[in-house]
Amino acid sequence: MTTWIQSLQERVGNGREFHFDSGRFIRENITKSWLFTLWLIILTYLTLAYTISQFRSLPFTTGVLVLAWLLTVSLTVYNEITRSHNTLTLWLRNNLYSSITNTLLSLLLVLAIVAAVWGFIDYAFLRASFTRVPEEAQAILAQFDSPGANWGAVLDNMRNLMVFRYPKEDSWRLWFVILYMGALLAASTFVFSQERFRRHRIRQALTGIWLATPVLTFMLLLGVKPVPGRTVDFLIRLLAVLAGLVALFFLSRGLLKRFPSLIVSFLVTVLWAAAAVTAVYLLRGTLVAGLNPDIAWGGLLLTLIIAVFAIVASFPLGVLLALGRRSQIRGIPPWLTYSTAAVFTAYYLYTNTLPAFAAATTIVQQLFSLWPLLFLVIAYLFQKYFKGNVVALFCTFYIEGIRGVPLITVLFMSIILFPILLPKGMEILSTWRVMAAAALFAAAYLAENVRGGLQSIPKGQYEAADAIGLNTFQKYRLIILPQAIRTVIPAIVGQFIGLFKDTTLIAIVGLVELLGVANLISAQTDWLGVRREPYIFLMLIYFTGSWVMATSSRRLEKRMGVGER
Amino acid sequence: MTTTKSSATPLTKAEEVIVCKDVQKWYGDFHALRGISLTVKKGEVIVILGPSGSGKSTFIRCINRLEEHQQGEISVEGTILNYDVRNIAEIRREVGMVFQQFNLFPHLTVLDNVTLAPIHVRKWSRDHAEDRAMHWLTRVGIPEQANKYPGQLSGGQQQRVAIARTLTMEPKILLFDEPTSALDPEMIKEVLDVMRDLATEGYTILAVTHEMGFARTVADRIIFMDAGQIVEENTPENFFTNPDNERTKLFLNQILHH
Amino acid sequence: MAELSPTPPKGQESIPFWRDGRVIGVLAQIAFVVMVVLGTAWLLNNVNDNIGALGSFRCADGTESFRCGFNFLSIDAQFDISESIIRYEPSDSYARALLVGALNTLKVTVLGVILATILGTLAGIARLSTNWLVSNMAKWYVDFFRNTPLLLQLFFIYFGVILLFPAIKDAIQPFGLPIFLSQRGINMPGPVFMPSFSIWMAFLVLGIIQAQVTWLFLGRREEQTGKSSNRGLWAFLSFVLVAVLGWYVAGGTANSQGIMVTNATRVREFGDIETLVLSRLPVSDLGDIDTAVADGSLSTEALTTASLQICAVKDAPSEVNFTSQLRRAGIPFVVNRTDRLNQATEAYVAGDCEVLVAPQAALASERSTLENGANHSVIAIAETPVRISVPRIEGLNFIGGIKLTPSFAAILIGLVLYTGAFIAEIVRAGIQSVAKGQTEAARALGLSESQRLRLVVLPQAMRVIIPPLTSQYLNLAKNSSLAIAVGFADLWAIAYTTLNQSGRSVQVFMIVMAAYLTLSLSISFMLNWYNRRIALVER
Ligand SMILES: Nc1ncnc2c1ncn2[C@@H]1O[C@H](COP(=O)(O)OP(=O)(O)OP(=O)(O)O)[C@@H](O)[C@H]1O
Ligand SMILES: [Mg+2]
Repeated sequence: MTTWIQSLQERVGNGREFHFDSGRFIRENITKSWLFTLWLIILTYLTLAYTISQFRSLPFTTGVLVLAWLLTVSLTVYNEITRSHNTLTLWLRNNLYSSITNTLLSLLLVLAIVAAVWGFIDYAFLRASFTRVPEEAQAILAQFDSPGANWGAVLDNMRNLMVFRYPKEDSWRLWFVILYMGALLAASTFVFSQERFRRHRIRQALTGIWLATPVLTFMLLLGVKPVPGRTVDFLIRLLAVLAGLVALFFLSRGLLKRFPSLIVSFLVTVLWAAAAVTAVYLLRGTLVAGLNPDIAWGGLLLTLIIAVFAIVASFPLGVLLALGRRSQIRGIPPWLTYSTAAVFTAYYLYTNTLPAFAAATTIVQQLFSLWPLLFLVIAYLFQKYFKGNVVALFCTFYIEGIRGVPLITVLFMSIILFPILLPKGMEILSTWRVMAAAALFAAAYLAENVRGGLQSIPKGQYEAADAIGLNTFQKYRLIILPQAIRTVIPAIVGQFIGLFKDTTLIAIVGLVELLGVANLISAQTDWLGVRREPYIFLMLIYFTGSWVMATSSRRLEKRMGVGER
Repeated sequence: MTTTKSSATPLTKAEEVIVCKDVQKWYGDFHALRGISLTVKKGEVIVILGPSGSGKSTFIRCINRLEEHQQGEISVEGTILNYDVRNIAEIRREVGMVFQQFNLFPHLTVLDNVTLAPIHVRKWSRDHAEDRAMHWLTRVGIPEQANKYPGQLSGGQQQRVAIARTLTMEPKILLFDEPTSALDPEMIKEVLDVMRDLATEGYTILAVTHEMGFARTVADRIIFMDAGQIVEENTPENFFTNPDNERTKLFLNQILHH
Repeated sequence: MAELSPTPPKGQESIPFWRDGRVIGVLAQIAFVVMVVLGTAWLLNNVNDNIGALGSFRCADGTESFRCGFNFLSIDAQFDISESIIRYEPSDSYARALLVGALNTLKVTVLGVILATILGTLAGIARLSTNWLVSNMAKWYVDFFRNTPLLLQLFFIYFGVILLFPAIKDAIQPFGLPIFLSQRGINMPGPVFMPSFSIWMAFLVLGIIQAQVTWLFLGRREEQTGKSSNRGLWAFLSFVLVAVLGWYVAGGTANSQGIMVTNATRVREFGDIETLVLSRLPVSDLGDIDTAVADGSLSTEALTTASLQICAVKDAPSEVNFTSQLRRAGIPFVVNRTDRLNQATEAYVAGDCEVLVAPQAALASERSTLENGANHSVIAIAETPVRISVPRIEGLNFIGGIKLTPSFAAILIGLVLYTGAFIAEIVRAGIQSVAKGQTEAARALGLSESQRLRLVVLPQAMRVIIPPLTSQYLNLAKNSSLAIAVGFADLWAIAYTTLNQSGRSVQVFMIVMAAYLTLSLSISFMLNWYNRRIALVER
């Protein structure tokens, strides 16, 4: 955009006499187009009106600001004319005063921003109370006509906000988890960034620890411990289980080496699943959860647990769903689909439609009684759009179904419907229900992310994997998924940030996470009706959390992109 | 170290490693292969030529089941190529393929690219696999690149890695699908030299290429395909100097006078 | 060539089925189907065990059937809904209550989408402004709203801002505008549509077509003569012409509004009202009333009694139409509002007022119910297609204007601010994606600034913008379900009440899921259609 200052500048030349082309100046800054002129008039009016109204409420500040504005504008213009810009005026010229409209806008916005910031400072600090004693806070705030923030409510509830009712004597578990995570993270960053640890045992060990971490943390947070009096029993069983697992590990490795085939690897998988069940069975009864999550977990702790659990647990499911949706497995052949549909149609036409058709009195009722024909329609659509692939059908329906409805309904469904869907008498805690719902919900979104990654893998990668003789399982595990997931890490981080924010919704279904605690504060007798302050504090937490995650993910992305592609 | 598997008896004529009989293939309604019959003997080098879209790639990809043929019979090393997943796996183990676009795995280092299949398919120990991998990388002339990622290599180097990746699996048959088409002229030579060496070492080779020099000097036989059929099958000398078929003459005219 | 072909012992026919690639796939599929069917059967069995006994699926004749599970929809809902587009009473059925909720969701979604798009576009453009302050303010807006949870924002807006607004008598009026922020929510001026609006609407459509035609016609002439004419302006003017014409035609032909008066008042047409009121006042001209009140010769009580006494139905357009004409004529009036027309008529008959305002047809039928209908006459009142109604405080209520209840204001503002931040990023990325080269190429072609935007930048940016925009609209629609947190009666809030009250949880969830899926699918369908269309135009 040509600017008025530029038009001035061109007239000045190198030391030549200053000559001002007013016609051009007006053309470029005022009468460019009728819309522009209108905008300029409105802006001028707004700026004037706002400046005057600010003069009334904040005479001193406004005066200083307007003076500063006048001063810097004239300085910039002068420097422009004489071509003697310093860093400051050059910056001002480029960023604030590049045209008449921008110059006006800058004044308007400076006044508005200063007023807003001042208002906030006034509210948050000058007229605020910081004491944790409610009576003192009342006394302090009573001095002001319009009292400011009552931060005591937040300070007094800091522990509640962080961990809510997590027992004090169990606090060491939290500290332990934090330290453990910190150490693990530091160690991994170091080891994985060093080329000399490639293929080193340390790297495998760390990967193993990472895989075990979710379970361990979980047990720690739940306060899991041996049943009193059965510690020895527990230790013996634990040793037995560990020994069994180690044995199984070598057994399966040998098996796979000796009989490298898909069926054997499937058998080994089954074997491991059986081992897991046996292990749980053996250890059952010897361990007891020391804490009830519905009661003990809350505040930021619960927020983090749910967000992390959802993303971790949704990962395998999401990957499976994505693979399923894209799967090219040979579908159920048309003849089978159509004959099955025909059998159903015939059966229901005979048992259902015949009597209903006879009983129908209107054409509409007669038409409705023909509903079994829908089986054929469904069969046709199924063959047309899914080529008989039930797996793809199921995954697509799951993904689109979940993505089409709001999270809040899914959460309520978990609270209300889980008990109905489970066998009579089987109860599960609300926390588990909500965590399951969050994971099932996240899986649908994760699946779409992963699918995007899968789509970005060129066909040649699949062909090369086939050509070198990898089986399907190896192809996905070694070639396709590592690449697909790597490309969607930023999207997954984005999704995790989304989950972190979305956990607030569980406050509505009655669990007391961060927002739940904030809502409770206003009901405490000490801090009755204090609402804004906890909310502002929460905004700070969420903003910092999301912002830090987003920024570091961007940095990670940049670093990982180097050299590997 | 690898022998014919239990599922297949030794061939009547042991040296016939690829036998194709009346192979037909459709893409939807499009008839891509119209009855290809070809027998390849052990150690033979065969170059397939033909205009674009004539089905060269389709045919060669049928041999290791990257494409399914719908009629006719293909057998490789005595193993019939059908829906039996075990047969497919066997054949893929014995047949190596080099692609026009290299298709290296960008998330793995060169060494990992090369050792991946030996470790996971042949079940070699990592040490042995790396040993063999370095051997082949040296053979194709790039041992010093072993720890780089494919993205850091030139096109010619990448194609040579791809060849090493194929050879480390110790296949008996090599399929090349225009391995030099995506390369700059100076890199083409690097790759052709490697291929030439392999040809003299007794590998059975089936190559689609437009490198006429290579075809003339290295091939035992030249197959000319058009519209999904083999139109001419000839020795290099006859093919280039005295082709039987009109279509071949036209093709050679276009190729050689451009 | 050797005729001896390999003849392996196992031909194609004898592949064992567990190794046959064709069979494995189908077997896996069938196994999957069996698993899913078994799982579903297990779940349904549990559902039956758990709630079947409660009679949730019982038909009228005592048999159990899945179909009868939805019979509860015709039962009376018996709960109140604070705001509704259609008429609703607690005696209406659950089905109607759910419909009210669905319409409320639709209302929030449609308004939210429009406003968020406007806000997002402005903020997105502001992000690219050459003014440092403007672009940074936009950046902070975007960063803040994207990085904090929507629900937290909603709670803050509702509990931390709107509910802390002053009582109605101290309502805040920002910048002295006729917008009132109070505990009742937000009251602001808004249009009131008269029946003749539909006629004017037709003219507006006509005007758009006319403008389109003018534009094309002038464009063709420009191409022929090579001279540029100001075709944008002409197209606009022709639109304005048709619109103005339509305004008067619609107002002139409309004959739906009326008032009922007793013959004794001698009012035969609108002009007579002035005479009637003047006859009760100690002044000879309506313009003198203010001075008379000021110098004390006319007390306010006397003025009130002498004013025209009007009976009207609350929130009815007829009243706005009539009183705004009275106001323009300077005639003082007092309105007595009731909830229904028959109550208003009763008040009128009882003598609480002298004029009953309503549509003519309604008045005529009311008159026929009166004992001595002949003593009353219905007089036509002129109308204009739209009137702007400005809110006023009368006693402890707001009269006129548009009301946003605190709940509705909170959910709407929250959704718009939140989604707007996401849209801003999309718009910015879209505009930036149009490479600089494109812009320069257009400049080199000598296109003007506006031509450049319209012909080069926007179409290309649109292609980048539409897909993510679709998902933002979908998110907005889904996020509107958070209304339950601020007490707005959207679909989910009402469904939840229904669920709790009727106990038909499975059925209610099925209805809600179906409704949201329909909404989501229709939004993505519409935008996909649009996307395909612009993609085609591009070719
Ligand atoms: N996946 C596919 N679906 C449909 N048609 C295909 C597919 N792959 C190849 N074709 C068609 O089959 C014919 C043969 O293709 P093929 O790739 O074998 O040709 P080609 O001889 O290798 O040509 P070129 O020299 O260009 O590589 C072509 O007409 C092509 O359009
Ligand atoms: Mg090809």
